[in-house]
Amino acid sequence: MRRSVFVVVAGALLAIGLVASVEGRRGFAFSAQDKTSMTEVKIDNFSFGPSALTVSVGTTVTWVNRDDIPHTVVSTDDAKTFKSKVLDTDEKFSYTFGKAGAYPYFCSIHPKMTGKVIVQ
Amino acid sequence: MHPFDIKTVLFAKHAQHVVLIHFPIALFIIGVFFDFLAQWKKQRLLAAVAYYNLLVAAISTVPVVVTGILAWQWELEGQKLKGLLLMHLVMGCISSVLVLLVWFMHRKAQRKQGDALPGYCLPIEAVAAVFVAVTGHLGGFLSGVNGAG
Repeated sequence: MRRSVFVVVAGALLAIGLVASVEGRRGFAFSAQDKTSMTEVKIDNFSFGPSALTVSVGTTVTWVNRDDIPHTVVSTDDAKTFKSKVLDTDEKFSYTFGKAGAYPYFCSIHPKMTGKVIVQ
Repeated sequence: MHPFDIKTVLFAKHAQHVVLIHFPIALFIIGVFFDFLAQWKKQRLLAAVAYYNLLVAAISTVPVVVTGILAWQWELEGQKLKGLLLMHLVMGCISSVLVLLVWFMHRKAQRKQGDALPGYCLPIEAVAAVFVAVTGHLGGFLSGVNGAG
C-alpha cells in the first residue's frame, strides 16, 4: 500500500514537473518571439508594417521586403542615418539604433511609403 | 527633404519620370495607329497626323529617359540594378531607341519619296508599340499602378 502511494505521488510530481517544464519553455518562446517581432518591419502591399515602431536604444530593426516589388528604406532625418540598397522580394535590411530619437524613413522608389522608428 | 533642393523638386513625391512617361506612350501608340490607318486607307491626312504624333513622341522621349536615369543615379545612387528595375531600364532604353528610329524612318521617307513608307516600317512600328506597352506595364507595376498597391 505504502509503495503504491509512493509510486502515485512520484508519478504525479513527475507529471507536474513535465507540464511545468513544457509550459515554461512555451512561455519563454512566446516572450522571445514577441521581442523579435517588435523589431521587424514587414514591407508589403506598398506599406511598412508597423508604420511606427518604438524600440529601446541598441535595438536592431530589420526590414523584410515581402512585396513583389523592389523597395528601399531611407531615413529622412537631417543626418540621413540609414539607407538600404534596393531590396528585392524576401531581402532584408537591418540597422542598429544607438541613439534615442525619432527616425522617420521612406521608400525612395515609392515616396508615399513612409514609416517611423522611435528610439527611447 | 528640402523644398528648395533640386532633387526634391524633381523627384521626391513628384516623380517626374512617372508623370512624363505618359506623353510618349500615348503619342507613339496613337501615332502607330494612325499610320496603320493611313496605309490602309491611303490617306495623306492620316499619314500627316501619324507623323506629327510620332514626332512629338520622339521629342518627349528625351526628358523621360533623362529623368529616368537621373532618378536611378540620385534616388538609388546609381547602384547596380537587378530584377524588375533592370528589366524596366533595358526595355525603356530599347523602346526609346525604337521610338526615335520609327520617327527617323518617317522623316527619311518624307524627304525622299513623299509619304511612301518602306515595307519594313510598319512591322518595326508594331514591334516598337509592343516594347513600349511592355515597358509601360513594367513601370506601372513598379510604381504600384498596375499592382496591388
